[in-house]
Amino acid sequence: MTPRTGLHALFALLLASWPAPLPAQAAPSLSIVPVQDLAFGLLLPGRREAITANDVSRRAVVALAGSGAVDVTLVLPTALETHAGDRIQLHFAAGDAALLTTGGATLSPLDPLQVNRVQLGSDRTVLFVLGGTAVTSHATRPGHYTARVTLLLSNPGT
Amino acid sequence: MNRSIRVLALLGALALPAVAGAQSITGSISASADIATVFSFGAPSALSFGTVTPGTAATGSGYIPLTRNVGVIYSLPDGATTGQLTGPGGSLLPTYTCGVGSTTTTIVSAFTNCNTAVANQLTLAAPTGLLTEYVIFNGSLAAAQTNVAPGIYAGTIRVTATPN
Repeated sequence: MTPRTGLHALFALLLASWPAPLPAQAAPSLSIVPVQDLAFGLLLPGRREAITANDVSRRAVVALAGSGAVDVTLVLPTALETHAGDRIQLHFAAGDAALLTTGGATLSPLDPLQVNRVQLGSDRTVLFVLGGTAVTSHATRPGHYTARVTLLLSNPGT
Repeated sequence: MNRSIRVLALLGALALPAVAGAQSITGSISASADIATVFSFGAPSALSFGTVTPGTAATGSGYIPLTRNVGVIYSLPDGATTGQLTGPGGSLLPTYTCGVGSTTTTIVSAFTNCNTAVANQLTLAAPTGLLTEYVIFNGSLAAAQTNVAPGIYAGTIRVTATPN
């Protein structure tokens, strides 16, 4: 084999091998699976209702999977709203979120107001949980109020 | 030539992680709450004429609070006999004024008639917020009505409230 032949062979090897590593790298890709909504349930006017990250039945739960360091960012609503535009104020604070094992053990508390860098291990699923506080006033009218919390996962540097 | 091979191999090694590392995903979850309809009577304050001297007039007032955050239709299911008193000397029907107010003493929205089988409804709109109001009954007994056999005369004023 001449040096030029060897170079061509290396080119061919590289080109042929490029598509293969991409799926292999994509396998541990990030995933988000909503499990449970943040549900304040039935509220009375003029009350402040807090759901802690430990409130198993009412906190939001999202299953996360992936590998390595991941930045978790939340886009949090400021209010629950009806279709008619009536609003209930929402508040979130440090400690309202946490990362748990699927068995329920706390891996780390998280601050939903910040970008949280977490370490996901070998494609194992972990649970992101979120609480929050809803504040109704005496003027809050009866009805069904909703909002959406958006969760962004990204590899650091992307 | 060997140097070219090494450079090429290095380029290949560098390029792969950069492409594979570009990951970012989003998901969303719902948050919800339901505000309850509040609609409940509180503890009533009985309307009492007290101890009445026969042959003299007497008056009394009573009320029952209702807390609500929706509209309401009040009605008097006993109609013409609303607030009728019965005792040893038979029945007494005081003259009533009745209605709803924001305090326990002043009627702001009055029933057209407190003792009739028809037109005894009072409809009030939904408030802008949680509201406590009072259904008030003011009763009076004329002197001639109290000239009856002594004893206790009692009755019940029934008010029905329906969310509207």
